Formats: sequence, structure tokens, C-alpha cells
Amino acid sequence: MSAAAIELDGIRVVRARRTVLAIDRLVVAPGELLAVLGPNGAGKSTLLKCMTGAIRPNTGTVHMLGQPLARLGAAGLTRLRQRVAHLMQLLAPGSEMPLTLREVVAIGRTGRAGMLRPLRSEDWCAVDAWIERFGLQSLASQPYSVLSGGEQRKSLLAMAMAQEPEILLLDEPTANLDAFWREQIVALLEEMQRQRGLTIVLVCHDLEALPRTTGRVLVLRAGCVLDQGPSASVLTPSRIQDLYGPGLALLAAHGRYALVPQPREDWP
Amino acid sequence: MIDLLFWMPVMVAGLLAGASTGLLGTYIVGMRIPFLGICVAHAALAGAVFGALCGCTGPGLLVPALGAASLAAILVGVVDPQSMRADINIVLGILFSLTMGLAFLGLGLFSLFGVSDNEVRNLLWGSLTFCRWRDVGIMAFTAGAELLFIAAFYKEMRARLFSRVLAAAAGVHVTFVWTLFLLLASLILTVNFQTVGGLMIYSLLTNPAVAAARLTRGYGRTLLVSTLLGATSGLGGFLISAVTDLPSGAMIVILSSLLVGLAEIWARLAQRRPV
Repeated sequence: MSAAAIELDGIRVVRARRTVLAIDRLVVAPGELLAVLGPNGAGKSTLLKCMTGAIRPNTGTVHMLGQPLARLGAAGLTRLRQRVAHLMQLLAPGSEMPLTLREVVAIGRTGRAGMLRPLRSEDWCAVDAWIERFGLQSLASQPYSVLSGGEQRKSLLAMAMAQEPEILLLDEPTANLDAFWREQIVALLEEMQRQRGLTIVLVCHDLEALPRTTGRVLVLRAGCVLDQGPSASVLTPSRIQDLYGPGLALLAAHGRYALVPQPREDWP
Repeated sequence: MIDLLFWMPVMVAGLLAGASTGLLGTYIVGMRIPFLGICVAHAALAGAVFGALCGCTGPGLLVPALGAASLAAILVGVVDPQSMRADINIVLGILFSLTMGLAFLGLGLFSLFGVSDNEVRNLLWGSLTFCRWRDVGIMAFTAGAELLFIAAFYKEMRARLFSRVLAAAAGVHVTFVWTLFLLLASLILTVNFQTVGGLMIYSLLTNPAVAAARLTRGYGRTLLVSTLLGATSGLGGFLISAVTDLPSGAMIVILSSLLVGLAEIWARLAQRRPV
């Protein structure tokens, strides 16, 4: 039995003869918030999919909450996924049928409620509480398909939170959201980690979306680990320039970070 | 005036076929897999053809037809479109062409052996007007199985209806429930094809669900409205045909299409109304 929440050993994922992810070892402790950064195609989303068992690595092992994914059957993997919420990068296209926002958020409670059992009143209370937390109560009975991109993103976040997971895997959770809601999400992640000890793996491009409670930053490039460590030691001007080119300056204040475009004449 | 006693099994069959196919269609349309009906029909035809070649006759042909349709359903259920990197409709397309090819191969063998294939064709392309109480009994059994399935897996099917990938990520037993659903769909479609006919089933599989999605919102309400519209099309189409002496299948298809048009007009007018 492993004490780590997430443990990856010797992972290698090959697609179309290209290594899209290669990680020798990665351990995420219970209650840790790990931020994963890197340019497009770095393997960030693939890493999350390996953690959910959606992608089986060509070599190596993945342990989630002490369970080896490779040895789990379909039923075992499904039971594990009830304890691990995964917010995906792309918005779900949804159904051709007019499912309401409330019904979509309730999907987060469906697996954990168990088969052949309807959702109980406490499940619906949790669904409604998260809908309210994300400011979506006036839209609860609206079809998901008519919501804006930001509202859909918040609905899917509410679905992940309604699952009450032990591990939260977030792939660009603040995409489509305005600055107000980005800050609300950051505050929520800080609260969930501090108060409930939730283990969080956060993939993002915007440094503004990194909570103050980020314990470690993992930088990927071309599927390989470029750097990892505390935010202050990884997020340096030279690393930012290395990752994103010379046009962006790094701002750091009160444990938060941001990238600001620089005039071309100020480029190093 | 029509002889109600004589036509009662036909009316009940129209009602049952409309209701059960309308209910099933909510999922088929909701998941954007209208091709499933055609795929299952050809798999059943291939099964019946080879069943007949092996000596099955009469109602006994339903067994190989159901077997082949179920096999096709299981294949669609266990194939993960994500790992195949192909849309589910592409998977259905591959299976459809394969089953059609097998059915034509079997039909070719009939002529080679100089045997009539009428019985096989009749099995899969029945007509509502020839339905009798025995057919109604089989249809009622499949409709009951459908209701039981939806009652048991109501919330899982809601999750699957929204997104297979998201439902799986949220820890829903998607593959199990989805495969069961496909097996049920193959049973309902095969039975309805051979009792009331293919053209009618294709329209009832799509039109009531599309109309329901325009008229209402929410999972439960859409299921209910689609079932009611399907039943209205099945029974109403037959009654119109009985009064006008026009073909019943065509009347059912036209009525269900008309309901889609009316629902669309209603939805557009409702959108214009200020809240």
C-alpha cells in the first residue's frame, strides 16, 4: 500500500511512433497541489489521462490512491474514478437532448450513488449547493446546450466538485472564464486544499490561475520533465523566457504570478 | 366506420411500437447515432438469412436474427471510440457495411441453391396491418423490458446521454450499461421490424425524439413527451389510414414528420416570446 496519492514510475507513452510523455518518477503527496506547466504539446493532458486510466502507458506503472491502474479491471477502474474527479480541457459537446444544467451537474453524483439506486435528496442538495457556489442557480433549469462557454465550464467544474473526490485533476479549469470567475476558482482551490485536504493536479497555461497554495510546479516540454520544485524556484524569468520566448515578463506578488507582454524594444 | 374488434391488435401494435420506439429514440437521437437502427436491421437480416440456410423456418427465424443483432450490439458496446480514434457513427458504418455484405452473400446463396427467400424478407419487413395478438404479446414483452431497463439505469443513461467520456470519468459503469442498452435496442428493433415494418420504425426512432427535444427540456420530460408523441404517431397514423384507406406505414411516417414540423414552429414562436 502506497502512502502517496499519486505515484508514477517509468512512464512512457508513445503515439504514432512519437514519445508524447516520458516521466521517470512523479509522486504527489495527499493534500498537495501540483501545478503542471508547459507549452502546447508538452504532454500535460496526456499526463492527466494516464492518472485516470483513460490512457494506458506503453511502459511504467501508475498508482492512484495506492491502487495500481494496470491491475484494475473495468469495474475496479470505475470504482477508483468515483474517488478521482477529472475536468477535461475541451468542453463536452453534450447531448442532442435538452438536458438541464442541474442534470449535468448531477452526473458528478451518479457514479458514487451506486448502480440501481436513484440519487437521494442529499445528492441533489450537494448538486444545488455547487450550482449556487458557481453562481448558476438562475440557469439550473436551462438546457446545457444554450449556455455560454464560460457557463458550461463552470457547470463542468460544479460537476467535478459535486463528486466530492479525494483527488481533483483539472485541465485548464479557468479557460473560457472572465477574471472575476478565474479568481473565484483560484480561491475555491485554495479553500478545498486547506480545509478538506484535497489533492489537486492543476494543468494550466495562465500563471494567474496558480493558487497561493501551489506546493510544487512541474514543467513539461516535449513529454519530458524540464524542471520541478517550489513555485519560487521554478518560476523564474529565465525559465519563462525558455518556455514562452522573450516577449513575456514574469510578475510575482503575494505568492501569485502573472505574465505581462513586453514591448518588442524591451525584449532581452 | 372501422371494425374496432378486428383492428384492435393492429391499433395496440401501433401504439406499442410508437411508444417503445419513441422512448428508445430519445437515446438514439440524443447520442447522435441514428445509424444504429439500420445497422441492427441488417445484422438481424444477416442472422435470419444464415438461420434459414441452416434450416430455421417460421418464427424460429427470429432466434438467429436476434442473435446476430445482439452480436452487433455487443460489438458496438465494447468498442471504445476513443481508443479507436473514430466517431461511433464510423464504427456503426463499418459494421453496417459488413452485416449488409453478409446478408447479400446469404441471399446470393439462396438463389444458388434455388430456394425462395420470401420468408426471410417477410420476417424483417413486416406490416402493421398484419399484426395479431401474438405479435402484440411479443411487442408488449419488449416494451416492458425497456421500461424496466430505464427504471433501473435511469441516472446512468442520463450520464451516458450527455457524454460517454465524461460519464466514464465520473465513475459511471458506462460500458456495462451502454452494452445492455444496445442489446435491448437490438431486441426492440428486431421485434418491431418484423411486426410493423422498417420504414415506420426508422421514422418513429427519430421524429418523436426530435419533436420532444423542441417542445420540452429536461431528461425525464423529454423521455415522456417522446414516448407520447411516438404512441400518437403509431395509433394516429393507423386511424388516419383506416379512415382514408391510405397505406398505414406511410400515414404513420407522415404524421410523425408533421409533428416534428409543428414542434419546430412551436419552439420558434416560444423563443420569440419575451420572458
